Amino acid sequence: MNFSRGLAAAACVLALAPAALPPYAMTLLTEALILGLFAMSLDLMVGYTRLLSFGHAAAYGLGAYTCGNLLLHTGMPLLFAVPLAALFSGIVAIGVAWVCTLASGVSFSMLTLAFAQLFYAVAFKWTTVTGASDGLAGIPRSPGPFGIAIFAGKAGFYYLVLACLLGSLLFCRMLVHSPFGEVLRGIRENEAKTLSLGYNTRRYKIAVVAIAFALGGLAGALYAPFAGFANTELLFWLFSGQVLIMVIVGGAGTLVGPIIGAAFFMLVSNLLSSWTDSWALFFGLIFIGFVLFAPQGIWGLLSGTGRAEGRERVRWRFLKSTS
Amino acid sequence: MALLEIDELTRRFGGIIAVDRVSMRVEAGEVRAVIGPNGAGKSTLFNLITGVVKASDGSVRFDGTMLSGMSPYSICQHGISRTFQITALFPEMTARENARLAAQARHVRRWQPYGGSTVFGDAARRGDAALERLGLTHVAHRPAGLLSHGDQRLLEVAMALAQQPRLLLLDEPTQGLSVEETAQAVDTLATLLADRAMTVLLVEHDMEVVFRLAHMITVLHRGAVIADGEPDAVRADAEVQRAYLGGLA
Amino acid sequence: MDFAAFLVTQCLNALSQAALLFFLGVGLTLIFGIMRIVNFAHGAFFMLGAYVGYSSVAIAGNFWAALVLSPLLVGGFGIAFELGVLRLLYRRDHSAFLMVTFGLTLIMGEAIRLIWGVNALEVRAPPALSGIVFILDEPFPLYRLFLAAAGIVVAVAIWQFLERTRLGLLIRATSQNAEMVHALGTDVRLVRSAVFGIGCGLAGIGGVLAAPLVTASLAMAPTAVIDTFVIVIIGGMGSFLGSALGALLVAFVQVFGTYYFPDLALALMYLVMVMVLVIRPGGLLGKEA
Repeated sequence: MNFSRGLAAAACVLALAPAALPPYAMTLLTEALILGLFAMSLDLMVGYTRLLSFGHAAAYGLGAYTCGNLLLHTGMPLLFAVPLAALFSGIVAIGVAWVCTLASGVSFSMLTLAFAQLFYAVAFKWTTVTGASDGLAGIPRSPGPFGIAIFAGKAGFYYLVLACLLGSLLFCRMLVHSPFGEVLRGIRENEAKTLSLGYNTRRYKIAVVAIAFALGGLAGALYAPFAGFANTELLFWLFSGQVLIMVIVGGAGTLVGPIIGAAFFMLVSNLLSSWTDSWALFFGLIFIGFVLFAPQGIWGLLSGTGRAEGRERVRWRFLKSTS
Repeated sequence: MALLEIDELTRRFGGIIAVDRVSMRVEAGEVRAVIGPNGAGKSTLFNLITGVVKASDGSVRFDGTMLSGMSPYSICQHGISRTFQITALFPEMTARENARLAAQARHVRRWQPYGGSTVFGDAARRGDAALERLGLTHVAHRPAGLLSHGDQRLLEVAMALAQQPRLLLLDEPTQGLSVEETAQAVDTLATLLADRAMTVLLVEHDMEVVFRLAHMITVLHRGAVIADGEPDAVRADAEVQRAYLGGLA
Repeated sequence: MDFAAFLVTQCLNALSQAALLFFLGVGLTLIFGIMRIVNFAHGAFFMLGAYVGYSSVAIAGNFWAALVLSPLLVGGFGIAFELGVLRLLYRRDHSAFLMVTFGLTLIMGEAIRLIWGVNALEVRAPPALSGIVFILDEPFPLYRLFLAAAGIVVAVAIWQFLERTRLGLLIRATSQNAEMVHALGTDVRLVRSAVFGIGCGLAGIGGVLAAPLVTASLAMAPTAVIDTFVIVIIGGMGSFLGSALGALLVAFVQVFGTYYFPDLALALMYLVMVMVLVIRPGGLLGKEA
């Protein structure tokens, strides 16, 4: 199926959802879309640049706390606070990425985790901004500008989230298919060669981390007024791991896959939690299973191309022939 | 003034001196081969010129610009392209995409985050032209990782050519090729270099290849230059005979 | 308290802390050196060590029994995981290992919660070590002194093991050139399994030893794995001496940082790491990156 036609169909179905679904399901769906946006932002790093991050919760938490504070203390309208929080998250990411890209490969991954934990620890201490372990509560969906209040309601907010997700998806698609995205692909496949061709790979990596953090921050910024609160859970390392699971299980390097992965995650954790409280155990197993046997993820399996597997085979044959 | 001027270039790894006070002048339009037995420091010399390894001492000047201390990408942006001894490609991309990505590196708007990957028509054309010059057009659509070893070696050269470099560094372009593949590759390279439009620094083990392609030869032995001159003079040099050619003759 | 006594006791404190961190760091770095993989589950193995230690004390009524049993069980579990799962992945790139061992962390955390419950469990130090000694008239827990000593003993033991024994030689050789060792007729796969087991076992010892200080709790895994990562990044991935140096540095920064800058203690560790990375991207004793 052609991408734009598929996207239009999916958008139509999702746009009609509020008319058909009960309120409880709408809440779940809204959260799934927010998580989908979050997972997709990580895919830019993991799937397209092979920058494995174990600290992406930092982006989400930054966005959520920033947005929460703007809404609680400045009276800024929701429509301004959300993009501003995303922007802030992206700017902070430049500093984080500057440090993390001093190292590469596994050390990069270890550093991302370390930084996320630093943010987590800071959130615990910095009571005036984060409310420490209580978190921020009662975050409003402030109306405006010009008294636009449509996004305060359940369905209205859902449409805001949907618009953000679709807009981001189109943006990411444009990005990965651009000359810039082609360089990211080069970094994924052979960073040293990309560098020797004259590309400043470190700057490209910092840029992609900043974009991923801005979009991840957007997801967090939407979550704060959606849930009405923000707490340190949003920065916890387990959450970083969960979003990585969504990306891998959904299908890294496909943008759409991670959104599916997030929906799958929401669905399965809701089903599992009705008969067991240790669903994390099953998620660990599902995750390992996918990494071992279906690295192309759900979307790769569904679309039937098995491209990720093909890629892996190509790379392996290449490595074997040259070493 | 020579295009590439290397002065007293030295690199130590711990107690080992891999490159020992090497000086060299490469004139524009010249094909210079760097030869020497294994461990003579040829690859390290390439890595020093391209900034992959930092020099312990000495300097490299390219067209009057000091290269020492620059990072590999900015050295490349000054017009020096290279191939690697161990094939370095983007295995999942097609040969055409490989060449295009190489050509695009010189584009002023290479950062452009929109417009599709083929938006720069001139880069795509230069990539395709480079593939054609090396006779790779018929495999342009195949993933680079699935090409034959010989084609992979040539693709690396094509990628370097697509960048239209002022200085081309070839690190053992025939490494790992069969006799027939080598003969073919050398023919292709000879045609390519016939018009003397390009300056080339070539590391090569195969003496036949060297004497066929090179105008000048520098012989390295244990990191130091032991001979430097035109092929016939180097061939006659007694020290070179002893250190290197003697074993082969 | 006079300054000399303060300094000495704080240094001993840091040394005991360094010992615990060293058990973690050296295991991770050994595994990385041989297998080129980062074991994300290292903190979880540390935690498992503490919980197994708790049960061993409860059943055998003896801390020393726990100190033997726990590393054996944890190491055995590590070997089983290497044989059952990791072995399937040697043809894949690094990220697959990181992800699989991360999945294992989740599973182990949940499994431990199911078996031992959510509450922190107290493990008592053996009676012989639970007293207090006076150092320059300052009271100091004997157990911490024991930890510092244990750290030094184990560090020397591992060093001698790597230098003097046949397996140690194989490990060093494999970390330099696995294919050559394989070609010379040693099954590298066995070396890998053994090293993975040893690394996990060391984390297990660390867990048992840490339990009397911090109690066995579910928060152990993330804290431990992050400290470990910082240590090996500072020391240099795959360097034995580097992990010792990194452990010392981090421990001293943690102990003195907590005292002098209580609000910044945590950030201080990162600051040191960033400084090291800027100056030497490969870590203090690592290969140049």
